[in-house]
Amino acid sequence: MRERYRRELDSVDQDVVRMGALVEQAIEQATIALIESDATLALRVMEADNDIDDLYVGIEKRALSILAKQAPVAGDLRLIVAILRATHDLERAGDLAYNVAKVAAKQVPVARIKAISGLLVELSAESRSLLSKAIDAWAEKDVILARSLQDFDDDIDELHKRFYREIFALKQDETSFETAMNAALVGRWFERIADHGVNVAEGVQFYITGQEELLG
Amino acid sequence: MSQEPAFSVRDLHVSYGGQPALKDVGMDIEPCKIIAVIGPSGCGKSTLLRCFNRMNDLIPGAKITGEVLYNGQDIYAKDVDPVTIRRSVGMVFQRPNPFPKSIRDNVAYGARINGYKGNMDELVERSLRGAALWDEVKDNLNKSALSLSGGQQQRLCIARAIAVEPDTILMDEPASALDPVATSKIEDLMQELKEKYTIIIVTHNMQQAARVSDKAAFLYTEVNETGKARWGILVEYDDTDRIFTNPRDKRTEDYISGRFG
Repeated sequence: MRERYRRELDSVDQDVVRMGALVEQAIEQATIALIESDATLALRVMEADNDIDDLYVGIEKRALSILAKQAPVAGDLRLIVAILRATHDLERAGDLAYNVAKVAAKQVPVARIKAISGLLVELSAESRSLLSKAIDAWAEKDVILARSLQDFDDDIDELHKRFYREIFALKQDETSFETAMNAALVGRWFERIADHGVNVAEGVQFYITGQEELLG
Repeated sequence: MSQEPAFSVRDLHVSYGGQPALKDVGMDIEPCKIIAVIGPSGCGKSTLLRCFNRMNDLIPGAKITGEVLYNGQDIYAKDVDPVTIRRSVGMVFQRPNPFPKSIRDNVAYGARINGYKGNMDELVERSLRGAALWDEVKDNLNKSALSLSGGQQQRLCIARAIAVEPDTILMDEPASALDPVATSKIEDLMQELKEKYTIIIVTHNMQQAARVSDKAAFLYTEVNETGKARWGILVEYDDTDRIFTNPRDKRTEDYISGRFG
């Protein structure tokens, strides 16, 4: 029954996973560009943000078309609502990766502040890992995995606080004010990426249970 | 439930000529609400609808067991006159079926045979206004009802139903023969009517059920082991919001999402 409709819904659902994979890749490469001061790689990440944006616009258009023409109800309706929310979060997460790449492209030496570089790399890896798990939960519609991300996000928030404390403790001869401020921003962006991952996980939970429960 | 139910259905079974048509239906219907009855063809929606005003009595071989309490009174009790029930529980059918008479006579007909003693012109106007048809026909009350459009004829049938002052209106796919504009008018009218009347509507149109009703009942067909006998059961009965956003039963979800049926 309604096979074309089901295929289209499945295909849009799959595109969310594709979009998530692109965002993950952007975060990873922006971090490498930052650590290795690789401006060329940073520019590539910034350019690739267009692909994420195109995918976002395409998914939104198709989701609206399904809403208008197929009038989905029940689980299908919840899926479309979850898709619209999740892609919005992924697009924002992509923009934050873009911001990180922009700092790398300007060759701001944030990763060379010895006292914080390890924490910065850890914050990036953990945030990417949370987003990756959120995308897995989405792909598998795994509500248990989705719910587990709440604790993970709490750990990342703690890590982020530690990172801030280390920045406040920096001595004037360790770095410039501008670099320290950029470091604080980059840390904040990674922490926000994790929050967007949690929102994606909330979408999985909403789709499966029909209940609005905020995880973060 | 805050109010006494208009209808309480308990252990309702219906069969035709010994073949079960509906099994074990139980539901309470609040007054002044719109209840949509949905489900695939042959699941017993119209059979259920006809139980609310004993229209099944008119079908040879029909047997009804269980209880249908209407304002607390069992309408299938021996001393109950079905005609009295049908006066309180009116019906509008799929195809508009006005009599080949004037608009005025169509509306006045039921009241007249009930021996209505009040001012007939007032009753005709009140009923036509109630059915959102007055402004369109007030200058042509003596014209034949058959000269009206399909949508107007259906609203005339609603006027005819409410002229005998029922408190419940049963509607069996009232808009399935109408175009979208006429359908919208009937749906808008239903929202006005529910201020005074309880409405139970059978519809094949999922979106219509979602748009108009406060609660929805999903009926589904069960088949016996040999595959030869089939009957309807009530799978889920809940607030329409719940049914269309997060139904409890997978069969409801599959049906309203168009996965079968």
